[in-house]
Amino acid sequence: MSDQAELLPGTLDLLILKAVSLGPLHGYGVLLRIQQISGDTLFIEQGALYPALFRLVRQGLLKTEWDRSENNRRAKYYELTAKGRKRLQEETDWWNRSSKAIAAVLSARPQET
Amino acid sequence: MNFIPYLRSLGARFFRRARIDNELEEELGAHIQLHADRLERAGLERAEAERRARIAFGSTARFGEECREQLGGNFLDTLIQDVRFSLRTLRKSPAFFLVSVITLALGIGATVAAFSVVNAVLLRPFGFSNSERLLWIYSQRPDNPRTNFSLPEYCDYRDQNRSFDGLAAIASFNPSLADSGEPERVQGVKMSANAFSILQLRPLIGRMLIAEDDRNGAEPVVLLGYGVWARRYAKNPDIIGRYINVNGESRQIVGVLPSSFALPNLDTDIVVPLQPESDPRRNARNSVNFLRMVGRLKPHVTVQQAHAELDSIRQNLHRQYPDTYTGKIGLTIVPITEEIVTNVRSVLLTIFCAAGAVLLVGCINLAGISLSRAGARQRELAVRTALGATRSRLARLLLVESAILAIIGGSLGLVLEISGQGALLRLMPADLPRIDSFAVDWKVFLFATAVTVIATLACGLTPAWLLSRSDLRDALVSSNRASAGGGMQSRLRPVLVASQIALALVLLANAGLLFHSFARLSSEQPGFDATNVLTVRFSLPQVTYSDRAAIVQFYEKLQPRFAELPGIQNAGLVSILPLVPKSISFIHFTRPDQPPSKPENTPSTNYRIITPDYFRAMGIPLLEGRHFTEADNGDRPPVAVVSSVLAKNHFPDRSPIGQQVMIDDNDAKPRPVEIVGVVGPVKQANLETAAQPDMYLPLRQAHKDGVPFLRNSIYCVARAKPEVGGVGYNAGQLRASIRSVDPNVAVGSVRPMTEVLDAALASRRSSLLLIGSFAGAALFLAAAGLYAVIAYGIQQRTREIGVRLALGATRGGILGMIFKEGALLLGAGIAAGLAIALLLARLVASQMYGISEYDPFSFAVVSLLLAIISLVACWIASRRALNVEPVVALRCE
Repeated sequence: MSDQAELLPGTLDLLILKAVSLGPLHGYGVLLRIQQISGDTLFIEQGALYPALFRLVRQGLLKTEWDRSENNRRAKYYELTAKGRKRLQEETDWWNRSSKAIAAVLSARPQET
Repeated sequence: MNFIPYLRSLGARFFRRARIDNELEEELGAHIQLHADRLERAGLERAEAERRARIAFGSTARFGEECREQLGGNFLDTLIQDVRFSLRTLRKSPAFFLVSVITLALGIGATVAAFSVVNAVLLRPFGFSNSERLLWIYSQRPDNPRTNFSLPEYCDYRDQNRSFDGLAAIASFNPSLADSGEPERVQGVKMSANAFSILQLRPLIGRMLIAEDDRNGAEPVVLLGYGVWARRYAKNPDIIGRYINVNGESRQIVGVLPSSFALPNLDTDIVVPLQPESDPRRNARNSVNFLRMVGRLKPHVTVQQAHAELDSIRQNLHRQYPDTYTGKIGLTIVPITEEIVTNVRSVLLTIFCAAGAVLLVGCINLAGISLSRAGARQRELAVRTALGATRSRLARLLLVESAILAIIGGSLGLVLEISGQGALLRLMPADLPRIDSFAVDWKVFLFATAVTVIATLACGLTPAWLLSRSDLRDALVSSNRASAGGGMQSRLRPVLVASQIALALVLLANAGLLFHSFARLSSEQPGFDATNVLTVRFSLPQVTYSDRAAIVQFYEKLQPRFAELPGIQNAGLVSILPLVPKSISFIHFTRPDQPPSKPENTPSTNYRIITPDYFRAMGIPLLEGRHFTEADNGDRPPVAVVSSVLAKNHFPDRSPIGQQVMIDDNDAKPRPVEIVGVVGPVKQANLETAAQPDMYLPLRQAHKDGVPFLRNSIYCVARAKPEVGGVGYNAGQLRASIRSVDPNVAVGSVRPMTEVLDAALASRRSSLLLIGSFAGAALFLAAAGLYAVIAYGIQQRTREIGVRLALGATRGGILGMIFKEGALLLGAGIAAGLAIALLLARLVASQMYGISEYDPFSFAVVSLLLAIISLVACWIASRRALNVEPVVALRCE
C-alpha cells in the first residue's frame, strides 16, 4: 500500500464528479472507477465515499435512482445533474490552473529565482 | 440553487426518517456485497470475502452517521438531541436545577422589573409627539432659576417671539369639583387653549381645548385627567357633554386626557382654559407671577437661538418696566422631557444598575457551579470525546444546558415581574412621574429575551471555553479525580468568587451610603412636633367665598366646633402645610432702613397665612414676642411673625420685634407690616435643605389679592390630646365639623402629620428598600458562592486531607489552612469591591444627605458585614474537612 498516495484534501468531490460524469454509477462503482482511472495510485477509504456522495446530492450536483447492478443486486445509482456538470468543468479548470502553477514553482531552477 | 435539494433532504430527514435509515443501510450493505462478489470472483470463500469487504469498508455506524449529518437540518436535529440529553441530565440533578433556575429567575425578574420602570418613565413616549422640540420656560431670579411669569409678560413673549410655533402658558389650579357626589379637591392646571396644539396632544375621548375656548365669553369647559375620570366616573365615556361644578362654576366636560399625559411638577387632574385675554390681570404689569410657559421650536431654530431671542425680549421689557422686572434676571429653558424625568433619572439608573449587578452576581454564581459540574463530568465528557464527539459539539451541549436553565429562569422571572408589579409599584418612589401607567410591552419582552441570552452566554460560556482548553485525554487516563479538575479550573473559580464578593460589596456600599443618609435625614428636626397632629386640606367654593370677610366668617364658625371636639387640644388653619410637595409660596420683602443695593438683591421669604392657634397646634415654639390673637384683624395695623432664620439673617443687629418690613404680597405695591413675634425655624419645602426664612401673617389681615389662593387651598391642623389614644379617633369628627359649617366645602382626607413627614422620606425609603434588597440578594449569592468554592475544594482534596491527618496534622491546622484560603479570597474580593465602590461613589453623590459619598463609616460597616457573613459561610463549609476520616479518605477513589 505504500505506493498509494493519500488524497489531497478537497479533491474527493472532484474525483467523484469526474467518475460519475462518464455514466451513472453506484457507490462501489464510483470507487472502482476512480481506482481504475487513477491506476490504483490513490487510496480512498471506502466508507468515506458515502458522506461525500450525500453531500454532493444535498448540493444538487448529483441525483440518485435505485436500479439493478450488473450482478443483479439492488443498488443506488448516482448521476450528474446539469449543475454538477458545470461544477465539474469549473473545478477541473481550477485544478488544472493551480497544478500548473504549483508545477511551475516546483520546477523552478536557481537562476530563475 | 442549493435551496431545493437542501429542502428535499431536510424533508427527507424529518418525514421519511425510517425510510432514509433503511435506504442508507441497504446502500452501504450493497457496497459491501458488491465488493464481496468481486473478492469471491477472485477465488475467496463467500464468508471470508464478506469479512474482508466489511473490514475494507470501515465502520458502517460511523459513516452512516456522517451521511446523516450531510443531510439538511442536521443542526436542528443535533440541537434536539442536545436538548433531550440536557433535560435528562438536569432531571438527574434536581438540586442544581432548582438553585440555578431560582437564581436566574430572581436576577432576571429583578432586572426586567427595573427595566419596565425605566421603560415607563424614561423611555416610553410622552402623551405628546416630537417632544424633543418642546421647551419648558421659567423666569430666572437671583435666588431661584425656576419662577413664574405674570400674565402681561406671557402675552409679550407670545406675541413678540419668532422662534416658536406658538407659546402656551400654564398655571396650577387646584379647585374643588362637585356634581351629584361629594365635593372633591383636585390638583389641575389652567392652560392657554393653544397649549394642546403645541403639545400635539390627542384626547383619549372627546376633544382638546380649541382657540374658541379662550375667547372672551366662551362657554366654560373642562377636560378631565385620566385619574379623575377613572376614579370619579369609573371610566364612563358618556360623561362627555355633562356639566360639573368647578369651584362653584358650572363647566361642560368636553374631553378626557390620555393616561400617559404628564407635565413637569404639575398635576393634571383637570384642565380648564386660561382665557388670558379676558383676565383682569391682562394689563396689570405688577400682577402676580403664576404662569409657566411651554413652546414648540420652529424647525431649524436651535435652543440657543430661541433662548437668545426670548432674552432680548426680556431685556426690552426690563428697560420698559424697570420696577416690575427687577428680579427677573434671565430665563431658564429646559426640554420638557428632561424636565419631567430629570429628578428621578439618577435614582432610576441606580436601581437599574443594582438589579443588573444582582443578575451578574447570579450568573457568576451559576458559572461557578457549572464549572464544578463540568469538573465532575470531565470523565463523562472525555468518554464522549473518545467515542467521537467533537469539542464544539460538547461545548454546544454545555451551552444548550445553560440555555434551558436561562429560558426557564427567564420565563419564571417574567412571571414574577408581572405578578409582582403591584408590590413593585408600592416600593417605587411616589414622586416618579407616570409610574401608575407602567405595563409590560414588547420592549420589556425584548429586554427580557436579551437578558436571558446574555445570562445563557455568561453561565455557559465559561465552562465551554474551559472545556475547549483542557486536555480531555488526561481526564480519561487519570484515575485520580482530584487532578481531573484541571489547573485552569482551579485558577478560575477563585477569581469568579472574588469578583462576586467585589460586586456584592459595591451594591452593599451603595445601600450603606443610602441608609446612612436616610438615618441622618430622618433624625433631622423638622421644626415642628408631628406626633398627635392631624391635618386636613379643604377648599372653599368661589361663589360664596369671594372675599376675605367670607373666609374669616367661615373660620369664626369653625372655631367653636373644634372647641367642642372632645379630644382636640388646639386647632389652627394654615395656607400651606410644611413638607407638602409642589406647594411654594414666597414673597419679597425689604427692611426700610436697609434698601437692597440692587433690585435683584431684594430678600425673599416663605409666606404663610395662619390663624392664632396654628403654632400651638403644630408645636412650633415661640422664641420672642407674642402670638397672633383674634384681635389682629383688618381694623388693626398689619402684623407678622417671622422665623428665627429670618431674624438672624436680616436682623443680626437688633431684635426684630417692633420692626417694620415692607412686604410685596399683592398686585399693587409693597405694604408695611410690623413684626410682633419670632418662632422657631421650620423645614417648609423638604427635609434635605436647611430651614429658610419664614414669615407668617394672620388670616384676619390677609390681603385681598391672596384670597383666590387661600380659598383654593387651606389646611386645618389639629393637635389631639395625647391621652385620647391616637389620632385615628378624631379623623371622622374633624372632617364632619368642617362639613357641618358648609356642606359645599370640598374636604380632603385626614392625614396625620407623621404621615406627611413620612411621605417626605418616602422616595428615599423606597429606593433604599429596593437597593437594600438587591444588595441583600447579592450578599446572599456571594456568600453562597464562597461556600460552594470552599466545599468543592474540600471535596476535591479529601485524599490530601486524609494524608495530612494520617501524617499527624491536627484538625485545627487543617481547618486553619482551608479557612485561610477563604479569607484570602474574601480579602481580595473586598479590596477590589472597595476600589470599585469608591470609584463609583461620585455617581450617588446627589443622593447623599449629611454625609460624604466617601463616608468611611458606611464603607467600614458594609465591609465588616460582608466579611462576617462570608466568614460564617466559609466556616460552615470548612467544618466538612473536620469530618474527614483519614482511613476513609485514603481509600476514597
